[in-house]
Amino acid sequence: MSQPPAPSTLETSRPGQVSLWTLLRVFGRSLFLQASWNPQGMQNLGLAYALFPALKALYPDPERQMAAVRRHMAFFNTQPYMAAAILGGVIFHEGRIARGEEGPEQVVAFKSALMGPLAALGDGFFWLSLRPAVGALCAALVPALGAWAALLFLVLYNVVHLALRVQLFRMGLRLGDRLVEQVAHAHLPQWGARLRTVGAASAGAAVAYLAASLGSNQGGKEGAVLAVGYLALGVFAYWLTSKRFGNYALLYLAAALAVAAGAFL
Amino acid sequence: MVDWSQVALAGVWGGLLALERRAFLQAMFSRPLVAATSMGLLLGDPDSGLAVGMLLELYHLGAANLGAALPENDTIAATGCSAAAASCTLSQGAGAIGTPTIWALAIILFGWLGTLGRKVDRWLEPYNTRLARKATARAEHGELRRAVRQNLWGMWPHFVLYAALVGACSVVGYLLGPTVSKLPLQLSRGLAWAYPAMGCGAAAIAARGSHAKHSASWAAGTAVVVALAYAAIAIRRGAA
Repeated sequence: MSQPPAPSTLETSRPGQVSLWTLLRVFGRSLFLQASWNPQGMQNLGLAYALFPALKALYPDPERQMAAVRRHMAFFNTQPYMAAAILGGVIFHEGRIARGEEGPEQVVAFKSALMGPLAALGDGFFWLSLRPAVGALCAALVPALGAWAALLFLVLYNVVHLALRVQLFRMGLRLGDRLVEQVAHAHLPQWGARLRTVGAASAGAAVAYLAASLGSNQGGKEGAVLAVGYLALGVFAYWLTSKRFGNYALLYLAAALAVAAGAFL
Repeated sequence: MVDWSQVALAGVWGGLLALERRAFLQAMFSRPLVAATSMGLLLGDPDSGLAVGMLLELYHLGAANLGAALPENDTIAATGCSAAAASCTLSQGAGAIGTPTIWALAIILFGWLGTLGRKVDRWLEPYNTRLARKATARAEHGELRRAVRQNLWGMWPHFVLYAALVGACSVVGYLLGPTVSKLPLQLSRGLAWAYPAMGCGAAAIAARGSHAKHSASWAAGTAVVVALAYAAIAIRRGAA
């Protein structure tokens, strides 16, 4: 396998190579990946927008540049953070295509092969594990930290998110197709399972805080009774959700019960 | 009286957070806890923002944008509710503080905005499809830079619509202020009790939505530990 299009200097690039500045521009533009998400091409326009500076650098010839842009306006959809790995890999392949080392079908196959599995991995880790875990933990910490809990949310989440996003982009650039092996070594599903436990435990702590603290503060002499009532409501709500009771219906039912209790007791 | 500069501020911030949710960055500034707290801070009532954000963060914890499926728009629910709650507090005069009655009322009145937001997101999709078609046509004519820049045009309808919605919530909050202070005591107390009740419901939804194995055991375990710790502290204070 030949060398990937590693950046040589900040602003200049040799044929088939992309400068560091251009790579930074691609990464920055990748943050707009879903700006025009649509049901037909999904992230296609966002991908073409992100890649454009690199394609311009790799193909000075307008005909080849147009062909390159058009092959990245086809359907594309993956988890937006994991897209960084595909972007890096696409630049790796486009560099090889520009140097005449492989055909354009390689980069199309690369995208098609990776977008599904990376989406599944990213959805499972970021959307269904990291975000709920950090969200529930910080929500449960609101009584102790106040508004700082919101800042803690941003720090905890983005330390992981931004580090992985940058790392995935670099891995794609350096390894091309071989990035799959490296991503597998990160053991994201195992970390995800642990994080989901943190989410559930933190939600339980939040129920107890809301019941005990606000119940005793609002209930006057009957504070303990009110706190136990809220706890029982939490258990009942969990049971209702397990029976697929609607979330909005549950929220408004809880409100109605409390308003009725407050008005008539 | 409505403070239009505050309404405009709420609208602009709400519009920007709506973009951050999906179109740009996704660094979670648009999550309910962060979005509502920042809205409360901007409007001068951080307590209301935090209280609303905490509850809605738990309520929307398990929602995820997977593939073409659209979840409820948690950001518009958070920004709308927090803007309404903060405006309601501010309308009661200098020195007024947010109360559980106001927080509960804001969530009852505007919590459903999440569903409306999903409909708005779906409604805007054909516009983006048209942009993608336009981009393809431009690329075929060799106008590559203009073709790929169509991507950025997908953001403005979201910004305008969600800014208007959040601004409207802020106006309603201002208008509700005088009414809230005149509510019958029993109803006011009931609404105050509704905030933790909805919070307990939202936390139960969060435990379920955490997707954890044995989520009930983990949630119950920590709930018992925290409740016992709180009771022990309360008994100690009582004895002292």
